[in-house]
Amino acid sequence: MGIKAMHHGHRRSWKRPCSSLIMTWIYMIFYGAGPMVYGCLYCPLSYKNTLVTLKFAVLYSEMFVIFVEPFGKDSKTLKEEKREELFENLKADISIGLEVDVISPRELSAKMLKKEKINLNEISHNSAIGLVRRVLGMGVLLSEVFVDTVGDTEKYSTKLSELFPGIKFLVAKRADSLYPVVSGASIVAKVTRDRLLREWVFEETAENMHRNFGSGYPGDPETKAWLDHHKHLVFGFPTLVRFSWGTCAPYLKDGVEVIWESDEVDENSSNNGTSKRQVKLSKLGFTGCKRKTEDIESNGKGRSKFFQARKLELVPHFQ
Amino acid sequence: MDGEGASSGGIDGMVNGKIALGPSEASTSVDLTDRVHLLPCVIKHDGACPVSQYFKPRKSDMVADGLTVEEAYFRGRKLQGVTVPIPNGYRGYVLEKKKTREGRCSEVADGEANNWASRAEFQNITYWNHDILPSKHDPIVRSFHWFAVSDALNKPITEEELASVSTVPDR
Repeated sequence: MGIKAMHHGHRRSWKRPCSSLIMTWIYMIFYGAGPMVYGCLYCPLSYKNTLVTLKFAVLYSEMFVIFVEPFGKDSKTLKEEKREELFENLKADISIGLEVDVISPRELSAKMLKKEKINLNEISHNSAIGLVRRVLGMGVLLSEVFVDTVGDTEKYSTKLSELFPGIKFLVAKRADSLYPVVSGASIVAKVTRDRLLREWVFEETAENMHRNFGSGYPGDPETKAWLDHHKHLVFGFPTLVRFSWGTCAPYLKDGVEVIWESDEVDENSSNNGTSKRQVKLSKLGFTGCKRKTEDIESNGKGRSKFFQARKLELVPHFQ
Repeated sequence: MDGEGASSGGIDGMVNGKIALGPSEASTSVDLTDRVHLLPCVIKHDGACPVSQYFKPRKSDMVADGLTVEEAYFRGRKLQGVTVPIPNGYRGYVLEKKKTREGRCSEVADGEANNWASRAEFQNITYWNHDILPSKHDPIVRSFHWFAVSDALNKPITEEELASVSTVPDR
């Protein structure tokens, strides 16, 4: 995997005994398909101005072009090459350290579909916090951290400041436009994600699966075609796709309905004192239509506790 | 689930039918041991499915009540499961409704005949939980308690047992 290659900066000589302070930029690249990638870049404070002169502003505007024009194929290829080149330059710069945090789509789906759902903001925050911890753990003295916000800027900033009292956090929406240097971190994230997607190995072994999933933007025709081709009526999508992604829902409209036992369990203590757990089925996989509890299990009325607890019931009509 | 041969249904005369647990033809009995999964959801689908291509259980490092916990994903959810053997003397069956020959419904004239035959057998089952680590408190494991209770209630009493009871001094 490409991730390992990016941990090249671990043993930069200036880090440990250094009195100058260092800063980090964190940037997230994530769409509904593929992994979520946080990239960060850190360097001595004294190098900050040099970084700006490295024409990151230009970099930023190129990133911006990519954001608004993801489908122009030729330019995309060109941009990608350019990005790769810039990434290699960053890697080669001895004053800069790079780190990434990758969260697989499978892990994202699982977290977001837990009984106690973890939302994408919280997952993103934890990823960013993990990166700050990692860099600190390497002995880097961080003084300033620029973070691209996820969710409410104020709350996020407070959360980070409380966790790391000694660090000045600059949390901003589209931090890369306010602080052009942030785009350095965005290149790290983008290139990492692109590489991971290019080398993606499917866990599923269904036939005719391919990796032409385009950019992963919901509007990309190639992404749309890929989703259409890879949907399965029973299984949904390969684990490359984050199942909680809004874009994939319409593709599974005709999919087989799946009702989960764990979707909303209510304590019903009025049932003769025997608090039987009833499944409330307001959330049913992809469709969200209402179903009766009987679809999953009988209500257990009149059954001995022994059978209720073991979910055993007499079947008079075997069919 | 119980035993060999055929057992006939009929609780309070409500059902007429037969479940043939022996293989219908000697060679057709399929062994599904290690391949039967119980998921914590209802899948509204009846038919064949490329399960092995999409459902990929993997052993984890965790152990729950002496059994290795496996991990798998279904529709984006992470499932944790264990494989439990079906208790001694019992066996799992996959039943199929027996087709009656054209126009002929055996035994019962009004078509209520409910005859089943075994298509496959299994000696263990992998059950999966969502968000809860498997344990001996799971209903499927606890449902096996019924076998012992059922035995105590339904097994014919042997003469020796009767004798041992009658030797209790009667005062």
